[in-house]
Amino acid sequence: MSKDLERALSKLRFDDQVLGYSLMTKIGRPFVSFAFPDELFPRIKDSIKLYKADLRLMTIDTEKGLVVLSPVDENWILTVLYVPELQLGLAIAKTKNVLRLLEGIELPPPPEDFEDSSEMNIQVLESIAIKAASVVPSPVVVPPPEESKPAPEVPSKPAKKLSSKDFNITPITVPERGSEYANSLLLDSALYNEMKVLYRNFGFDVLMLVDGNNSVEKIADSMFQPIDRIIDLLKWTASQGIIDVPILDESPKFVAAGTSIGKYVKCPMFDGDTSKVSNEDIQLIRLCDGNLTPEQIAEKLNLPIPKVVQTIAKYRKAGLKMIGRTV
Amino acid sequence: MPKIENPLLVSLYSYYVDNILSGTTNIDEANQKLRDLGYEIGRQIYLNTEIVEKTKESVTTREDVAKLIEVVFKILYDKRPADVDMKTARGSVRISDHSCVWCQDVNLEGMRGFGYCEVFSGILESILEVKGVDARVFQEQSRATGASMCVWNVRLV
Repeated sequence: MSKDLERALSKLRFDDQVLGYSLMTKIGRPFVSFAFPDELFPRIKDSIKLYKADLRLMTIDTEKGLVVLSPVDENWILTVLYVPELQLGLAIAKTKNVLRLLEGIELPPPPEDFEDSSEMNIQVLESIAIKAASVVPSPVVVPPPEESKPAPEVPSKPAKKLSSKDFNITPITVPERGSEYANSLLLDSALYNEMKVLYRNFGFDVLMLVDGNNSVEKIADSMFQPIDRIIDLLKWTASQGIIDVPILDESPKFVAAGTSIGKYVKCPMFDGDTSKVSNEDIQLIRLCDGNLTPEQIAEKLNLPIPKVVQTIAKYRKAGLKMIGRTV
Repeated sequence: MPKIENPLLVSLYSYYVDNILSGTTNIDEANQKLRDLGYEIGRQIYLNTEIVEKTKESVTTREDVAKLIEVVFKILYDKRPADVDMKTARGSVRISDHSCVWCQDVNLEGMRGFGYCEVFSGILESILEVKGVDARVFQEQSRATGASMCVWNVRLV
């Protein structure tokens, strides 16, 4: 029990957009907290009091950030403080995500007496749970611990099933929920377990953000994950009918491309004070906008490449950078 | 303009990276090729440096691995890593460096997922292999693609 709880909470702990969290009793006493600002507790307690039993998901905009309150069960309320700039929808999605993890865990009611926000409280809770069950909990196959980092083996073997290659997913694709979407999120479904084996909780996290509005790029951004990894997962989920994405055209060259990158170029970009650029160089430096290669600049100005390189190098001190990108 | 440390190495490496990127069509493949390069030179490094004298013959625990990584850092870069994290994730060690040698003054745009400094992953992996540790090393983030520091993950198999 405590392992599962800790795992669910650790999801919040390692989320860069989470400033702090607190598992509270239904009257708003903090039971287990992490980096949650004390000065917010009274305000949250007041809000909880206001709604009493009617509390559903609630958000409070505070000067510290965005607080999302959500009841876990009749005894517990999860309170998460997100960075102020996080979109409301994402904050709610993230909270729900953790709630789903908590769903499978039976939390006993809080003890009558406890120290606020103590780290030891999780253990206290566990001993209550064991006492309540009055038997040792049966050994459950615990999935590998959730880690907040990309798994190396996942990208190295993209798509176990042949069919996942048939989907065309690019960073601008907007995946939609498919017929198996709801099923795949049920903790006891075969599909969920298969996804868990293949992708751990990463699959779950990504699917939470699939709503028919978020593009792949947006999902990657909000999760701070590489696009490739998201695409790899989405292709698999597409092959299982969990999400709907465009099907790839039958041209073989695309099948081989995978997560293809274009031609790699390095383009100068001037990001400094143009008043420091001498008159004879200004024309060239203006072309250094990060989109043209030195060769292209040379061609446009009809200058020899060494001359361009020489000028670019001269302005490195004044804020000229070489930007590498694929085109 | 930042002062580049070891410009010869940086220029050679960037030449190599450019070549790989122009020869591959996919970021995972490019990452793997850079790791392969590191893996090849890792043995050379082990043969040519004092790593052998300064480390235990056989490395077994995660603490040993962390110690070994610090020695490698000292010998290759003459500094300590910013952090060697063994707590956050079980079964892996995470190393971070705020001023990684490989990607000095490299700015990449829109190349998310590309580990510019993956060569170091390969180097570590092959040194660990020599020490009898089966590990997969990969780069989690790189300053080249806009992160605040370079982070490698050593996953012990």
